[in-house]
Amino acid sequence: MISPRVLRVVLIVLWIGLLVWSGEGRAETVYVQAKTAQLRAGKTSLDAVVGNVKFGDALEVVGRDGSWVEVKTSAGAKGWIFANKTSSSKPSGTNDTLAKLGQSMRGNDASATTASAGARGLDKASEGYANRAGVSARDRDAVDRMTAYQIPDQEVEEFLREGGLGEYAK
Amino acid sequence: MNMRSNHGLTATLIALSLTVAGCAEVQRASEDIARQSGNPRLAGAIHGVGNVVGSLFPIGYEEESSIGQAMALQVVARYGGVVDQPELVRYVNLVGRAVANTSDRPDIPYRVAILEHESINAFAAPAGYIFVTRGLLKQVRNEAELAAVLGHEIAHVSQKHILDVIQRSKRLAGVTEAGLSYATSNPAAFKTVIDGAVKKLLDEGLDQDKETEADTIGEVFATRVGYDADAYVNLLTRLRDLKGDDRALFKTHPNFSARIEAVQKTIQSKHLVATGVLLPERFARMAKRI
Repeated sequence: MISPRVLRVVLIVLWIGLLVWSGEGRAETVYVQAKTAQLRAGKTSLDAVVGNVKFGDALEVVGRDGSWVEVKTSAGAKGWIFANKTSSSKPSGTNDTLAKLGQSMRGNDASATTASAGARGLDKASEGYANRAGVSARDRDAVDRMTAYQIPDQEVEEFLREGGLGEYAK
Repeated sequence: MNMRSNHGLTATLIALSLTVAGCAEVQRASEDIARQSGNPRLAGAIHGVGNVVGSLFPIGYEEESSIGQAMALQVVARYGGVVDQPELVRYVNLVGRAVANTSDRPDIPYRVAILEHESINAFAAPAGYIFVTRGLLKQVRNEAELAAVLGHEIAHVSQKHILDVIQRSKRLAGVTEAGLSYATSNPAAFKTVIDGAVKKLLDEGLDQDKETEADTIGEVFATRVGYDADAYVNLLTRLRDLKGDDRALFKTHPNFSARIEAVQKTIQSKHLVATGVLLPERFARMAKRI
């Protein structure tokens, strides 16, 4: 029969071991909180790009230094990412799980009435609305052009670089 | 109990239980079973169950996109059309994209249009349709202020503030059907929903707590890119000097003093930095075209 004193010591040792194990074994994770982001070889925007990640990707934190976080991707690639492009909580995204589930249950009734971003032409629902509301051809064309308006990501990146914004801050 | 009702009961039970569990494919299969067993009314009922259960969930992006586009039509129509100056439009869109790309909802397309109107105003319709008036742009002194204005509108989109308005507008229009199929099956109801939402957006305004939330979250979005944290306070202060607190910039928003205080509290609590990045020269090059 184990004495209560020995049992207490064993429990304390086990508890301490569990604390040490959980602290070492649970790496910090951050998520990409930007449409896209680049992993760089060093912690400046001048360092070479070594990889690309996208919104919602989980990254294991290896280290931190100022405005930069050193991370490892699930594929094992390592690099530095600008800290403002990460979040400690997982972003829900455009259609969170509940919205997707709801749409799935309703069936894809919206598909017949919507157009994908970037495609020209008002969708069927808006076209019907424009007819009923008497929206002019000029205003329809304005919204049509607005819907289709796109700027490539590289041009946005160049705009940030020119302005010394984001990871290009001086 | 005959064979037909057995099929029906089975189909109903499967549909109810698995619809709740999220198995839309099985729900559709149950509809088919009911139809094949010669009971179209039951098939319709199962479809209805799916719709009702589906309506309890948030609006998805496809539906949001369609509603946003229809609302955009009305905003453009009521504000006299849009400015057709490609370089200026490109510039405001670049600032908008810079802010949106590191917002809390960067994975949808955002587009900014300049309304041909001298009032001082800005709006956001669902799915990333953002508008600023020519009158508002005339009050802006630098790119950081513009980024903060756009940050406010992007926050309305990221927080899905307008979708709450849509849900309310649907209820007021008596639309119980979930999804967008009513837009084609009952276009009059769709028009009522859109008109109700536009009225709320342009005439009555969103709830004041949502405006405050958009101010504070938009401030965070703009500063994430590196714009100076004091820029928005400077703009709001100048507008208060211009318009006074009795008559807020947008009749639909809280008064300026309350907004300035809320933004200043956010700057302090979140340690947002006055980086000095205002970019007045880049803005001035474009401002000549306003």
